[in-house]
Amino acid sequence: MNFRLAAAAALCVAVPSCSLADSGKTPFQRVVILKVDGLNAELLYENMRQINEATGKPVLPWFAHIFGQNGTTFENFYTRGISLSAPSWSMLDTGQHAIIRGNVEWDRYTEHVYDYLNFFPFYLGYARNRQIDMQGVEVLDRAGIPLIIDRFQWDQVYQSFQLYQRGARWRTLQDVLKQRFSSRVLIPSLESAGAPSLDEMLGQQTEKELVAGLQDPDILYLDYYTGDIDHEGHATNQPAALLSVLKRLDALTGRIWTAIQKSSLAQQTLFVVVSDHGMNNVPDIHSEGFNLPDFFSSAAGGGHHVLLNRHELQDYKMVGLNPLVHRAYARSTDTFYLPGQVDEYPTAWLDLDGNERASVSLRNNDLNKIHILLLQLAKRDLQPNVRAAAAAYLSEVLDKHREGWSEKITRLEQELNALQSETEDQKQALESTPKKFTHDDYRMGRDKAVRRHVNELAHWEQERDEYTAYIAHLRALMKFKPDAARRFSARVQELVPPRSLGDANTLYDLQNYVVGPEPAGMVLDTSGNLDEQRSFRTVNYFPLLAAQRVRNNPQAALSSKPIDFTALRLPDAQAGHETYWLYCDDDHQLLIRTDESGNIQLQPVSHLVQDADGKVDFTAISWKDGLPLHLFEDAELQIPSGTDRATWLSGWHREREWLEAINLCKYSNGVIGITEELSPVAANVPGTPGMDPVLVSYEQRRRELVQPDIEVFASDHWNFNARNFNPGGNHGAFFRISTHSVWLLAGAGVPAQDVTEPYDSLNFASTVLNLLGKTPPMPDRVVNLAASTQANAR
Amino acid sequence: MLEISLGRGLLLVVGIFATSLWAAEDPPAGSEMTATVGNNHPGYYWKVEPAAETSQLLTLFCGGCGSRITENSNGANIPLLAILRDTLGEYRADQDRLLDVWLLDYANPGLGKKILSAVPFFYWHPGSGSRSAANQYPKPLFDLTTPQHPVLSDMGRDLLQWTALDPMMMPVRASSRAYRSNGIDDERLHLETAVSYLRSAPTSEEGWGLTESERNMVIARLELRKKLLGGLVTAKRAAELGEKSGYEEEQIRGRNWELLRQLAEKTGLVFEPLEIANHEGEYAMLSLPLGQGPPDTGSDLKPIWKLLGIRDPWTADRLKADPNQSGVGTRPLGVYSLTYPKLPLLLVDFRDRLRVQRHEMTQRSINEITAGVIGISHFTNWYYYVAADLYDFVSGRHGAAMMQSERLDAYSRLRMDLALDHQLDPALRHAMEARLNNVSVNPLQATADRELKNAQIRYARLEDEAAARGEVATLVDKQRRAELAQFGKTNAQLERKELFHLASFGLYKGLAPQSDDNIATLSVERRVNYQLSFLNGLATAGTQPEIAVDQTRIRSSIQELSSLMPKVDSPAVRAHAISTLNKLKSTSQSPELQTDCSSAIAAINGERVAEQPAQVPAVIAETALTQDNK
Repeated sequence: MNFRLAAAAALCVAVPSCSLADSGKTPFQRVVILKVDGLNAELLYENMRQINEATGKPVLPWFAHIFGQNGTTFENFYTRGISLSAPSWSMLDTGQHAIIRGNVEWDRYTEHVYDYLNFFPFYLGYARNRQIDMQGVEVLDRAGIPLIIDRFQWDQVYQSFQLYQRGARWRTLQDVLKQRFSSRVLIPSLESAGAPSLDEMLGQQTEKELVAGLQDPDILYLDYYTGDIDHEGHATNQPAALLSVLKRLDALTGRIWTAIQKSSLAQQTLFVVVSDHGMNNVPDIHSEGFNLPDFFSSAAGGGHHVLLNRHELQDYKMVGLNPLVHRAYARSTDTFYLPGQVDEYPTAWLDLDGNERASVSLRNNDLNKIHILLLQLAKRDLQPNVRAAAAAYLSEVLDKHREGWSEKITRLEQELNALQSETEDQKQALESTPKKFTHDDYRMGRDKAVRRHVNELAHWEQERDEYTAYIAHLRALMKFKPDAARRFSARVQELVPPRSLGDANTLYDLQNYVVGPEPAGMVLDTSGNLDEQRSFRTVNYFPLLAAQRVRNNPQAALSSKPIDFTALRLPDAQAGHETYWLYCDDDHQLLIRTDESGNIQLQPVSHLVQDADGKVDFTAISWKDGLPLHLFEDAELQIPSGTDRATWLSGWHREREWLEAINLCKYSNGVIGITEELSPVAANVPGTPGMDPVLVSYEQRRRELVQPDIEVFASDHWNFNARNFNPGGNHGAFFRISTHSVWLLAGAGVPAQDVTEPYDSLNFASTVLNLLGKTPPMPDRVVNLAASTQANAR
Repeated sequence: MLEISLGRGLLLVVGIFATSLWAAEDPPAGSEMTATVGNNHPGYYWKVEPAAETSQLLTLFCGGCGSRITENSNGANIPLLAILRDTLGEYRADQDRLLDVWLLDYANPGLGKKILSAVPFFYWHPGSGSRSAANQYPKPLFDLTTPQHPVLSDMGRDLLQWTALDPMMMPVRASSRAYRSNGIDDERLHLETAVSYLRSAPTSEEGWGLTESERNMVIARLELRKKLLGGLVTAKRAAELGEKSGYEEEQIRGRNWELLRQLAEKTGLVFEPLEIANHEGEYAMLSLPLGQGPPDTGSDLKPIWKLLGIRDPWTADRLKADPNQSGVGTRPLGVYSLTYPKLPLLLVDFRDRLRVQRHEMTQRSINEITAGVIGISHFTNWYYYVAADLYDFVSGRHGAAMMQSERLDAYSRLRMDLALDHQLDPALRHAMEARLNNVSVNPLQATADRELKNAQIRYARLEDEAAARGEVATLVDKQRRAELAQFGKTNAQLERKELFHLASFGLYKGLAPQSDDNIATLSVERRVNYQLSFLNGLATAGTQPEIAVDQTRIRSSIQELSSLMPKVDSPAVRAHAISTLNKLKSTSQSPELQTDCSSAIAAINGERVAEQPAQVPAVIAETALTQDNK
């Protein structure tokens, strides 16, 4: 099923280019992309335009010269979806809708971790021949979504170290290590004069290789990824410190540009700078952290054992030194029914790497009930009538799921069988591939293609085992008949799958989430049945999260309410229509609706609830201040003059209209971002060309299984980082300062203009590929530079 | 044999005392006097005065910080630190040079204190400090023109310790080590005090104080003085380090601020940032909210108490018995420094007066027992030190503050900030001072109040010496002649000179002869260095210089260099200038700049000026692109 190359080949058919080609210009042959993680557009543009009195030139002279005076600057370019690196780079690098929606994702059934930001397991896996690409690339490959670099042959590409990286260049690392022990580094170390860090040396080596690559006319794609400004931005809000990093970036840009100009393809080279998101850096404000693991492990939060991808306060633990960690269990001392079982039953899985946004996946509510009831039935001293009622209730719960589980098992087994069959076919195909590679094979990356294939087969086998184990638990549950007369004596672990969350929770589940038995245990109603209300301790997470307040908030500029709003997708009411629910508090809620044509409409509501049968009920309210995203009161809302705000906001509009109307607002493109982040992910998984539809369905299921129950968004200048501290800026939410990103273009023929029309991540790859004369993944997202010149020329 | 050893030991002890006096150039003592300087100013400010006719004395004052030591209820302005800037009689960025730093509150410890500092396991500081600071000229804390000298003297003293004193009998080894260790700590404490003052100092690009780059450079030099080989770092690198260290400190403060706030939130305590002596974000206090119960947390808090360095106040027996526990309000638990690199450092424990002191004394005792009493050596018993480092590392990972020097830095800052503060609640300040005083385990130390009083006396004395024929004039003259002697010398020549200086115990200075032309010559040399440094920075960037800096400025620099070079004889400087101009010419695309470079090179070589700009084929597309876009 390694269809990546096939997909790339299919997409590599050149089409007559639009935009510049339309204006009579030759498409570019080569592209150089400077990828800057976390560079806020305002910070850059302001310094590009400001004059440094000491030099008589702009503070960032090279950015100003190359792009400000001679290139195209996109003034209003935004991260689409949440402003996080892994999802954002995935869209920038592919030009397609996000199927990766967090920096870490968990498979609900198997606890498989997708830890997209962790480089160490990749290098180790690469060294051990078990991994050939970064995990994000593997996910995209499986979904049949090619990267920009896949439009080039292997030997035409120079790719730096980054999140969506194919292969690793040991040579680069080797050279860096050699430098580490050179006199240039050792002498400053001895003098305590701040020898360059490994990161800095890696940057220098990458630059050296990139500059050398520019002199090779056969290399047509080059990129340089840097995370320096992101690191600095998280650490401090001090403008001078941020400017210092920007100046280094400016000098690097100048050196790359100079090298481009010296190369033989200078006139055919497109130079691009892009950042994945902005950063909420405001001078003199510390970003404060709210500890969600503490919340979920406290009695009030449900007493969950919590699963994270990194240890909390990792700098103060020996285990924090382990760079390979991607599962860290936080034990709750307040758990109501799972004492000492943190390793087996972590029931809240969090992605906190989002900083301003966290994703929360909770164990299926009915699995909690089943678990609690089994523990009750295992008690020796349970009253017979209570035992009988508990057994009856447990049977009801199991019966409720029987049909759904049965169907799920059938489909999943069908998919796993197809996978097994494909595995065997591929193994046979692999046997015929050469075991030794020629120099030409290495040059063309054929050795890596074979290794990639081998690794993929290993993953399939592992997945099959994991899902089969989960199915076994479901089967055991379906087979289980609670005994109303005798004590339950089997092991709970045989029925309730450990390290698994089961199926996603419904809104009703989350509003009535069972966190343990009541202190009095199981209670019967007057009819002798189990009284659900009085037997189970429940939590409604939405008002509970909204009610969180922080005692220690010494900054007047920050609200003591760390959580801004929570969001999730409501069940589909109509095919092709989706509804997303944003919750500030009971009285301030917002529905975002989309139709099959991609139109969007908003509706303010209050007191939205779902009943046990799935019916959603709410009160429609008028527009007012304080609703999620705060659009009604936002002075920057750009709607046609004379139009009533409430009327416009409640109307159906195309996505483009929304973007133009809201992009300057405090929450920038939040309306669109929510639809990108929470839309059904399966629709964005096309599968590779020629892929068995059953396997496409399998891949879609795997993506659906990593979707969280709730997305939690932090209030302004709050963050959810728990492993470390980000007192500087953060990102992840829809604040304009967090989503406002950089996109700059330069090269012979690129018009000198400041494009003020708003664009988002989906426009990037399609436009760049189009300028290179290659097929854009979304032709309707190509920005026509020639057409925009007239309006935006300087 | 014993007699010989004793005799040799005595000789060496005297020797090391003498060496330390020579190397540290400690300021002499003077007499006490109370004085106020100028009008009250809020915060920190510079006062610039002429010194030795052709220089400036820049003095940093803390406005209104002297209420504790004067009768003035508004508080006097306290002089903290002075810097000598050699302007050669005219303030211009291209010919100024910073020469010396005085820490005005630093008085030389008396003989009694020095003797006590050589007594092992003596961890107290009797008396308030020297009362005789004003009689003699205060020598500088640091000579910015020769940062390498202390490195060499320190190495000499270390060698003396390892090779001669350590092999001797235990009393000699232990007392010499105690003396040295106390001396180093005392110097570090005052270096850190100076750095702390400088970080608070405003900057001015118009000459009314240090410029930002000057301040960064001085901070870096003082910071590097704390490191063994730090004095060998080049001036350019030092300036970069100074800038970077400021950012790093800001990051550390921000991180510790947030760590402490979050830990307070987790443990149910109250977090309160403290502003002491106008220093924001450097300190914070944790308090217990009275009349409330422990927090509802689902996690084990033991590691958190360890990180905070205090006992769990919710279960501590002493607190339970405390009648003040009930009611409303808060009860202070501890004050933390937020500048310690790894975590917030507990400096004041309100519930356990001696806790921090016990910790310091234990660490010092272990060092003295292992190195001084037992004589464990870094060379022969390296495995002990490896194990000790490992232990420190593991303890550090679990939240213990194991970095003794950085702890001292944090302590030093709070000590002087409390003395200068006039905003904090007096009762709280008094309680903090009483506890902080216990932390000091160095007999050489004086009280902060005494040091501030000395600062005023020493400043007055320094002003006197800054007159035309005072000690400052002599100092400036020597440093100028040393600079003249160094100009245009190769590295090998400079290293040879340093060796002579070291071998002659500092007697050999290698000064240029006195001459009426010295100032004019020095002016040319400094201006040449300035222009070369500017142009070299542009040339080594490898990119078009006219993009980064306005072309007229570059051209004016080239012309200035060109006009000065005929007055320079040094072949090394001429070669450097030609090489820089050649590089500049090859990277530039501006015909005017290229012509200027060619003309300057020709002028340096004594040739005729070329009329045509050189062809530079390296960049082939830039112009085309620009034209196309236009």
